[in-house]
Amino acid sequence: MNNLTEEERKKILESSPVGTWALIIIVSSGMVIAWLLMYYGVFLPRGPIG
Amino acid sequence: MHIDKLEKKWAAISLLIAALFVSVILGSAFFHGIHAPSNVETIDSAKLHLSAEFAEDKLGAQQNPDGSLTVRMVAGRYGFFPKTLTLPAETNITFRWVSLDVIHGVHIPMTNMSTMIVPGYVAQVKTLLHQTGDYPMLCNEYCGMGHAHMWSNIKVVSKEQWQALNKQGENHG
Repeated sequence: MNNLTEEERKKILESSPVGTWALIIIVSSGMVIAWLLMYYGVFLPRGPIG
Repeated sequence: MHIDKLEKKWAAISLLIAALFVSVILGSAFFHGIHAPSNVETIDSAKLHLSAEFAEDKLGAQQNPDGSLTVRMVAGRYGFFPKTLTLPAETNITFRWVSLDVIHGVHIPMTNMSTMIVPGYVAQVKTLLHQTGDYPMLCNEYCGMGHAHMWSNIKVVSKEQWQALNKQGENHG
């Protein structure tokens, strides 16, 4: 970061955080898929309680 | 209050995921006709042995005219009574639990059967057991020094086996 010019630094700071978005999409979709698998694959087949 | 644009997007994603989970749960509850256990019934925990329903000789499984079962059990430090039960698979079962002392919980691992047993109240849960086999029945609410040793067994057999056991008079349930 120290070797960057002020212009390059500003460009990076103002650009969209692509890596963060990629990470959030991977983690979120992984969590949603795991939850749906547990719900439809394990919880519901065991039979409802009421 | 200023909230960063990016932070708002992250919050929206989290809320969307929570909303998705809630809508899936509500949707399947409507679709499958699932109702959360909601029985409220009081009982005198100090006089269970004198009660018409939970006296010692009334405990265990009882077949109803429609073929379903009602299972009556008492939880007390540190055990469930009767100690062993044999139940049929694929049969509508109504569990009715009472506590004779403190708050207990009951959980049958590998099934969805789990409830809290509060003294003074009858805990009622309706369920179906799909898989045959041996299951432990565990107390999952800390109830004292012997809590870790509070468990008993359930054996789930096929309907035909259960009928045969009942005819032979060998069924503990």
